[in-house]
Amino acid sequence: MIRRINLTINGDKVGIDVQPSMRLLDVLREILNLTGTKEGCSIGECGACTVVINGNAVNSCLIVIGQCEGSEITTIEGLEKNGELNKLQKSFMEKGAVQCGFCTPGMIMSAYALLLKNPNPTEVEIQEAIAGNLCRCTGYKQIIEAIKSP
Amino acid sequence: MKRDIELFSTWKLDEALELLEDGNSHVIAGGTDIIPGIHINSNRFRDFNKLVDISRIKELKRISEEKDKIIIGAATTFSEIESDEILQRHLPLLVKAVSKIGSRQIRNRATIGGNFINNAPCADSVPPLLVYNAGIKINSIHHERMINLEDFLISPYRTSLTNEEIVTEIVIHKPRESLNDVFYKLGRRRGVAISRITLAILFEIKNNKFTDFKIASGAVTPIGKRFYEIENYADGKKIDRDLLIDISIRCGKAVLESTGLRWSSEYKLPVLQRLIYSLLEDNCLRR
Repeated sequence: MIRRINLTINGDKVGIDVQPSMRLLDVLREILNLTGTKEGCSIGECGACTVVINGNAVNSCLIVIGQCEGSEITTIEGLEKNGELNKLQKSFMEKGAVQCGFCTPGMIMSAYALLLKNPNPTEVEIQEAIAGNLCRCTGYKQIIEAIKSP
Repeated sequence: MKRDIELFSTWKLDEALELLEDGNSHVIAGGTDIIPGIHINSNRFRDFNKLVDISRIKELKRISEEKDKIIIGAATTFSEIESDEILQRHLPLLVKAVSKIGSRQIRNRATIGGNFINNAPCADSVPPLLVYNAGIKINSIHHERMINLEDFLISPYRTSLTNEEIVTEIVIHKPRESLNDVFYKLGRRRGVAISRITLAILFEIKNNKFTDFKIASGAVTPIGKRFYEIENYADGKKIDRDLLIDISIRCGKAVLESTGLRWSSEYKLPVLQRLIYSLLEDNCLRR
């Protein structure tokens, strides 16, 4: 049964006619064409699909769109403002924290959620915030450096 | 999701209970087990085509302190538990345990009720809830019942919950503030790790003797389990190295009785016993 789900995505209010049991990840990628959010493991272990919902980092493969009614969702596409990258994105580039780039959107969204609540995190707090984001090629050192100094 | 499933979301408990009345639906809260379970077509989640979402029902997300008890709404997320001051003060063992579950993303969605209703052997909230003697309140459209968590948990992935029911509250009598607690979790790594060993211990020491010693395990037993015989054995005894060795050996044997002998027991039993001894030594002797 298709239903209208109203929510805010990257600052824009949208109404989507969709099956409420569709995963948020699939709605983002297949209906809204926001393909910056990646699908990795599909079971909540890799963090590649991380988005921010009402200020909290969430795996978009572990939530269905019907549970998002009225929510404010930020994806990696929502960080850029007026053609300028967010300082966290710039910091990832400056510190060499992007190699293949597949984990990067999820990694940045976890970091973004952390910085919303805690603008000056310690290294341990950063490690804790990205513990659910796997990176298999860049290495975590540059990523942690990038989050430390955006 | 790959299967065609209807999802009904509601903000009202009565409405959720009405939706469940026909017995053909499955409750979803955080969804961190159910959604990937359906996605990979796990046989545990094939017998329904209707989900009732309770994740935003406010009365199921309330944490409150009464004169002698603490009440936690069953749909409270682990992140909400971690940051709650009432729980940090009165149930620190539970806070320690849930802060080690999954990742930040998972703790932002996964709920305490979902953790023990799923009743996986490795459900990290179960051993602390067992040593706190947690009770749970269950509602359906027709009735309300209270049951001890220990009696609710039947076997791996099975509980006494029926399709018409929702676990609404976890009720814990306030533990004395003089109780000490130890939580231990071993996984293959620190983050997003399924527990291989979980131990929750509460104890009080008076005149160098244990009073109120409680211990429960997870992951090494088929489901979370209290060890009452060992607790009774420890209480009132003088704390020294010999007693702690004795308790550790007995715990290992009790775990083995619960799981049965396996090819790996020869290795795992002494490891577990040594681990329990180290925990007790660090927390009870070196104080």
